[in-house]
Amino acid sequence: MTSTKQQRLTAPAVVLVGGTIIAAAIAIGHGWPNAGFAEAIAIVLAAGYYLLAGSDSDLGAVYGNRADERQVLVVMRASHISMLLMLAIAFVGVVITVALNKNYWQFELFGNAGGFAYLISILVLGAHEEQVLDSHDTK
Amino acid sequence: MSQADVAAGLGVSRQTVIAIESGRYSPSLPLAFRIARFFELPVDQMFDPEEEES
Repeated sequence: MTSTKQQRLTAPAVVLVGGTIIAAAIAIGHGWPNAGFAEAIAIVLAAGYYLLAGSDSDLGAVYGNRADERQVLVVMRASHISMLLMLAIAFVGVVITVALNKNYWQFELFGNAGGFAYLISILVLGAHEEQVLDSHDTK
Repeated sequence: MSQADVAAGLGVSRQTVIAIESGRYSPSLPLAFRIARFFELPVDQMFDPEEEES
């Protein structure tokens, strides 16, 4: 499958915009030299993502916005594993910070946001599937 | 015919063709029909569910 330049540019553009925002934050809090270094890293990463998005691989297809049905399934499984890992880290973070009598709201926020997003996604996507079935049944 | 030719004809990646060939991935029904049409064979000749179960 071929990838257009526009498809290949999405992932690097997101990395570049995200990196520039972080560099701007670094400029405010830590000065311009550090911000320049951060921006340089963002540019190198964006170039890397551009090359990756053009490669003939599953990663290339995903980052190049040309994933087929199997690759979409792989992305879904990978997202699920990533979410479980992040929730586990948030849980461990809450346990450790509570035990140390430190601020734990950051970990709680990540855990709750992930958990609620998961539940709402099931509700919304599940309701959508039911509606699709209903509309087919009535025909 | 190369895997790249088949992938281009089916509109999927070469990696997916390899995964289907090696039995690591079962295609969706629409893709299974596309594959059968591509090779001009009936779907049940292309895919044997009993073979996959054993």
